[in-house]
Amino acid sequence: MKRALGIIGIFLAILVFSIFFAENFTTGINLMQLTNRTALYSVLALGAALVIVTGGIDLSIGSVVCLAGIMTPWLLIEHEWTPWQVIPTVLAMSAFIGLCHGLLITRLKLQPFLVTLCGLLLYRGIARWMTGDQSQGFMGEYGDVRAIALAKFSIPGLTDYRLPATVIPALVLAILIGLFLSRTVWGRWLLATGRNESAARYSGVPTAWLVTGSYVACSLLAGFGGMLFIFDIGSAQPSDFGNFYELYAIAAAVLGGCSLRGGEASVVGVLFGVATLRVLQNTITLAGYSSQIEFAVVGGVLLLGVAADELIRRYAARRLERAGAVAARA
Amino acid sequence: MKKLVSVVALASLSFGLLAAAPLAGDLVAAQKERIAAYKSAPKKRSHVAFVSNGVADFWTIAKAGAIAAGKAKDIDCDVTVEFPGGGLGDQKRMLEDLVIKGIDGISVSPIDPTNQAEVLNLVAEKSLLITNDSDAPSAPRLCYIGMDNYDAGLMCGKLAREGTKNGAGGGKVAIFIGRLEQDNAKRRRQGFIDGLLGRTPDPTRYDEPSKVFTEAGYTIVGTWTDSFDRAKAKANIEDVMIKHPDLALMTGLFEYNSTLAVEVIRQTGKEGKVQLAAFDEGADVIAAIKEGFVLGTVVQDPYGYGYESVKVLNAFTKGDMSMVPANGIINIPAKVIKKDNAEAFWKDLKAKIKAGKEAK
Repeated sequence: MKRALGIIGIFLAILVFSIFFAENFTTGINLMQLTNRTALYSVLALGAALVIVTGGIDLSIGSVVCLAGIMTPWLLIEHEWTPWQVIPTVLAMSAFIGLCHGLLITRLKLQPFLVTLCGLLLYRGIARWMTGDQSQGFMGEYGDVRAIALAKFSIPGLTDYRLPATVIPALVLAILIGLFLSRTVWGRWLLATGRNESAARYSGVPTAWLVTGSYVACSLLAGFGGMLFIFDIGSAQPSDFGNFYELYAIAAAVLGGCSLRGGEASVVGVLFGVATLRVLQNTITLAGYSSQIEFAVVGGVLLLGVAADELIRRYAARRLERAGAVAARA
Repeated sequence: MKKLVSVVALASLSFGLLAAAPLAGDLVAAQKERIAAYKSAPKKRSHVAFVSNGVADFWTIAKAGAIAAGKAKDIDCDVTVEFPGGGLGDQKRMLEDLVIKGIDGISVSPIDPTNQAEVLNLVAEKSLLITNDSDAPSAPRLCYIGMDNYDAGLMCGKLAREGTKNGAGGGKVAIFIGRLEQDNAKRRRQGFIDGLLGRTPDPTRYDEPSKVFTEAGYTIVGTWTDSFDRAKAKANIEDVMIKHPDLALMTGLFEYNSTLAVEVIRQTGKEGKVQLAAFDEGADVIAAIKEGFVLGTVVQDPYGYGYESVKVLNAFTKGDMSMVPANGIINIPAKVIKKDNAEAFWKDLKAKIKAGKEAK
């Protein structure tokens, strides 16, 4: 939780700015849409965090989002599979992709950057080839299946705000991953692996399996996220769907306190990291800034956030050191 | 002294380079000379290429047209169709590769003509260059095949104006478009604004995208781009509808912008409350027109772009330039699809997409 304090501070500052300067920011419908977007991107960022914890990186998230997202309507509409066949198939395929990444990294000792970079090209290429580069959509059908992402639940007492269905999987995943990292031996081992893999391995931790598992989880979540995205958007084009989403996911995870060096993570921080990026994007439109400036603002805030976080950490470490020295003298 | 010598050398070198850079006019003349030479020695079987500006159903239909033209008895030539999925860089690479391959002529929809001068010049230098869908008037292209995007925008603007009681309805208007760099996007947007506001048509007019202004009862609240990220495009529409709960009308000037606008209108239950004047032939847009909550859509004829491109390029390789009019524009006009002709249009479209997918 302590790791998340920095990002929570930044999030609150942006929130206050938005409340005052972004028109209609606090309307129920806007908050509802923001919650939905945060939930969608959280699924990807949580997966990215699991890999980052091990000191790895997954650059293929966006392409897995694309492949899984495109395959869903492609199988349903073009090949007339049932949703009961499509959803497990797409999820299994995503997990298999992760397994391949994990095995290539741990058994063949290839660099994660390289393996997942190849994945980035490979899965998008497959998606484009498979569909003949055609955009895939639900053609107005499968409303009941799309409800997984589109349903909204009324909350007693609130008239304007309804809870988007996407919050449920995002929250369940966040809680499960949070508990896994903080309350289970496996979670502790995963953190230890990220901190110093050799030390962990010599202490008897099955580091190879843990790292492989984290890549499986990351790709599985990316595939699941891809499905949620396509249910939400309705149609997608294989050549651009999910482009750069790995960077949004990684940025949110790092902003949320995950160190790219591994061994450190905060699930709460990741959620706030995602929310910060989504609120920023929303505020730029609502406050009437030109959309051209969006990337610059997001980049600037990211840099500021990470730098501020580092400085606060150093300050805290120095204070701790000084307090330690004083205690030793006493 | 050494310094002076190097400055003079550098200056003369850059002057030499400048002088060496071919002028568009010279390149057009050189291409015409080559075509004239084909008259006495026509190419037996030509090989021409059609290059899109991206990947979409729209281009699949164009592909069907291009392939059909290649197989037509009176044309009969080899056709290569390329869809660059990775933007500007991808298109450049494809054009360069085609030139290296020794292609006889290329019809391209340039993504950003102003900044693609080098590669377009290269095509003109080594092959024959024509443009389709989006023009590059300053490039050395022999002709442009497509509709005038300003006129098509104008049609869409007029459709919107009629739908909002000829301006009596008025109100806030938002414009959504993938990107504004390319010529067709800029002209389409300007045409839409001029048509909506009932101005005298003038393609040279330009309203700043970031400017909010009120005219003839309408307030243009802004133009939003998304660089083809659909989640972002959807978020743009949702956010603008929140910022302006009294939004009267919107337009999505690229195919998916309109499709997503229909999606958001459905999801927020604003059918009939926010009007939509659409562009292109997205399945959901056509369905919504049939249902009656979208005013209509302006569609191009991509099949015609593909067919005419191959036909014209093939004629060039036989030394025939007669089908190019004096202004260099072969116009294939857009049409408006409303509730009454939506069904017939949809059936024809499906048949053409099927042909494009199966075309080899």
